[in-house]
Amino acid sequence: MHSESDPEILMARYQQGDYAAATALIHQLSAQLHRFFLVQSAGRGDADDLLQETWLRIHEVRHTYRPGEPVLPWFYAIARHIRVDHYRRALRTTGREQPLEEVPEPAAAPPTASGGITDLQDLLAPLPASQREVIEMLKIAGMSLEEVARATSSTVGSVKQKAHRAYEKLRERLSGAGLDERRAGGPR
Amino acid sequence: MKDRELDAILSQAAQVPHDVDPALLASIGNSVGRSLTPVRPLPPAWALTGGLILISGAVALAGAGRLGLYGIQKMSVLDRALIFPALGLLLWLAATASVAEMIPGSRRRVSPPILLGDGSLALVTVFAILFRDYHTHHFVHEGIACLSAGLLHAIPAALASWVLLRRGFAVNPVAAGLVAGTIAGLAGVTMLELHCPNFEAPHVILWHTAVVPVSWAAGALLGWLRNRRA
Repeated sequence: MHSESDPEILMARYQQGDYAAATALIHQLSAQLHRFFLVQSAGRGDADDLLQETWLRIHEVRHTYRPGEPVLPWFYAIARHIRVDHYRRALRTTGREQPLEEVPEPAAAPPTASGGITDLQDLLAPLPASQREVIEMLKIAGMSLEEVARATSSTVGSVKQKAHRAYEKLRERLSGAGLDERRAGGPR
Repeated sequence: MKDRELDAILSQAAQVPHDVDPALLASIGNSVGRSLTPVRPLPPAWALTGGLILISGAVALAGAGRLGLYGIQKMSVLDRALIFPALGLLLWLAATASVAEMIPGSRRRVSPPILLGDGSLALVTVFAILFRDYHTHHFVHEGIACLSAGLLHAIPAALASWVLLRRGFAVNPVAAGLVAGTIAGLAGVTMLELHCPNFEAPHVILWHTAVVPVSWAAGALLGWLRNRRA
């Protein structure tokens, strides 16, 4: 049973030129896309720019969504592309610039118990980008393995492997920080 | 620490509301609204895949028809029964991968580099099993002629495939170029199998098969250049 607020239905209506559906989608999905960019180590300003750029690209290529297909992998595949593109351009620019002084990489602080976005960033910070995005999509955005595989242009097996490795690293980190008893109040 | 506990920590973090600046959302809404018109979605994936296979088959047949169908006439029934279905299967896999590369969020059955490696290996294996003449008459001269002919036929196949998929959007232009090059290369190899009467194993294994990696390398290079220019 599909409701009118289903992103798949809204996307199909957006393709038909329905402005209300387009704005509903923007309001429904922007927060999670913004969080996706933040978790990928972008600053708030960068995340705002990336979100805007993503929506403009989504608008430009909205005909490539096929009605009936899961919409989240489509959105996230474009968001990933924008992020990669953004950092590639940034690298090219910074490569040409002469640094005034060495800026040290900020050390990943142990997560606090408040559970906000900064904590999430800190928690996932030690993971490589590919594992971080898999965990973000699976556990924060609530996508299925199949959806994450589609969004990351990989296979379900590869997603499972990345998630497994990420969990191993997170487990080591949290156990090392002595947070396991403090934070886990058992599964909900 | 158990996975369940880790899940709980992550889901706790996920449930924290995260807001985006309403002014930013309004600005995005306005930008989208200014150029909002109905769009025609892409055709179904099976139609695009079928189109790519038809293009490659048509280019190979037209090319071999023009140059002469000497290869297929000289082949035994077993040769035909193994070579053309193998090429057809690889073409179908490459076409499926190519369509997936041009539609964001598509399902991947196999990754492009694996498709490429395994595909080329399968082709070499089929040729090695079927062709047992190990002479190397005019190896380089005839080889370069076949490689050139194969690549010349790969170009129209690549162009026609690009026309078919031009409305798509490649999130990874290098991978998209790589699989598109593979399809074009397979069209070139199919043309050579239909046309070339030289059944010396080294000739077929090296020069015919080489059309595929050369084409995918050219496709990947074009994708990389497009990526850099963007």
